[in-house]
Amino acid sequence: MRKRKSFKKRDLLGWLVMLPTLLLFAFYVWEPLLENVRLSMFSAVRYELQEFVAFDNYIKVINNPDFIAAFKNTFSYTLWSLVIGFLVPIALGILISETVRFKGLFRVGIYFPNIVPGLATVWIWSFFFNPGKTGVLNIILSKFGIDPQLWLTNPHWTIPLIIITLTWKSAGATALIYMANISSISPDLYEAATIDGAGIRQRIRHITLPSVFSLAKTLLLLQIISVFQILYEPMVMTNGGPNNASISLMMLMYRYAFRDFDFPSGAALSVMICIVLIILSGIYTVATRKKED
Amino acid sequence: MLFQSYTDKKDGAIRGYDIKSPKVKVLAAVILLMCFLIVLICVFPAIWVMLAGFKDIKEFTRNATIWPTAFDFEKFRVTWKAFKFGKYYFNSAIAVGGSTICAVIFNGLLAYGFAVLKPKGYKVAWALVMWSLLIPATTSIVAVIRNISLIGLKGSFIPIWLAFGANAFYVVLFKEFFEGLPSELLEAARLDGCGVLQVFIRIMLPLSKPIIMVVAIFAVTAAWSDFLFPYLVLNGSGKETVMVKLFAFKDTPTDAVSVLRAVVFSIIPPTVLFAIFQKQITDSAAAGAVKG
Repeated sequence: MRKRKSFKKRDLLGWLVMLPTLLLFAFYVWEPLLENVRLSMFSAVRYELQEFVAFDNYIKVINNPDFIAAFKNTFSYTLWSLVIGFLVPIALGILISETVRFKGLFRVGIYFPNIVPGLATVWIWSFFFNPGKTGVLNIILSKFGIDPQLWLTNPHWTIPLIIITLTWKSAGATALIYMANISSISPDLYEAATIDGAGIRQRIRHITLPSVFSLAKTLLLLQIISVFQILYEPMVMTNGGPNNASISLMMLMYRYAFRDFDFPSGAALSVMICIVLIILSGIYTVATRKKED
Repeated sequence: MLFQSYTDKKDGAIRGYDIKSPKVKVLAAVILLMCFLIVLICVFPAIWVMLAGFKDIKEFTRNATIWPTAFDFEKFRVTWKAFKFGKYYFNSAIAVGGSTICAVIFNGLLAYGFAVLKPKGYKVAWALVMWSLLIPATTSIVAVIRNISLIGLKGSFIPIWLAFGANAFYVVLFKEFFEGLPSELLEAARLDGCGVLQVFIRIMLPLSKPIIMVVAIFAVTAAWSDFLFPYLVLNGSGKETVMVKLFAFKDTPTDAVSVLRAVVFSIIPPTVLFAIFQKQITDSAAAGAVKG
């Protein structure tokens, strides 16, 4: 703590330096969060608010049959991303940590998808998942004598395949974080384990994995928070189909606000999503604070 | 010899002394092979889209092949002209340039306040900024777009630029860097009678070149890839960026090969940037994200 003193010129100057940016945060982040709550309780014609309707918009949104589908799907996205998206970066990080030659190439290679714009990624992968004979994955499968698959048009596969696309894009960047963590493990630990007769597999299980565990917990929560907001991937790849099999809550919000221009309903759905996210980030804050103690 | 290099291995479960055993040699070779396969999976989609861009629509929809029959750059030129990509590149350049400048100046100033000036009560603002790191902009997009429309800034680059001035992740990056600077230097400058802004411009900025580079690179790639917010603000105004155009393809029937070539156009600039700054980018990606 600095010396206790009253509010001085220096403090005022400090706040003045920070003010422009804080105003931007207020405009883009803080005010809209509150504004959403207000919007969601009114009826509106385009941007003009009409009258106070309390929770009518919320009831309307929840009673929309698409809402149940979107709600279920959003959890399905999150679950699949835990199965696929969570483990792949850990595996990548461990594998590349065990190489010496070409390590630089591997680092750059796995990070490359992260540099490809998200929109370009979803366009490319929608062509990969083309169900016809000329879809890229079907071409590759045919080389192994496997029949063409339906890919995204099979409603059971839609969500996992979209998650695979997401994982392709983000796993490398996450793997780099794990690699930094793994390379900071003290060599003494491995050497002591070797003296105790531990083989390589046991060393990975008892030394490498436990030490990435606390980092993994943090990244897991961040991943849940980000996948919960999945929006443009299904929008471009499947438009929510087939038959609502991949529509997400954020996508439903987008449809309300920017396709039907029903801003209050879009805001109501935003508020509901936000409450879930605030709870999740509350858990995140508690979890990370414990780690620091 | 390939296995020679393992004797100096500094991290991971396979240690230098293991490599004498033939079993470990096989394991190391298998891991190496898997890593090459992984890298292939990572770059193949981008290579494929370039190859597919050389096909015409008949070839693309009928031939079940990956390799195109001919490499004719004329096809890319035709798509470039037909969809006026020159204009979209120009618009993207304006959007990216302004966004990057805003990202560096505004977030840098705020971090200067948090890390060095620390005016009374700054912790409240810091907590609010950290909170917004977890609640990304998309949830409040309805209210943001409405506000922008109400103040008449729809169809303008200004809201796109300024949006990058409020990025909690960049603030964290700057703050951590500033906290690592020697405080004696700043103290000495202050005793010499330098004002708050003078210290920032004369001392902080010249010392901060590495972090400015990192934030600028992140901001350039993020601003280039951004499309949802720019789409809602700029679509139909004649100021559409490359990504806005690529997003609009979703609703306008376009032949597949043109979309593919547009995808190629959208990938080239970030790929070039990555090729130049690969080390800075991969290093800061590994270090920065954990703390954010």
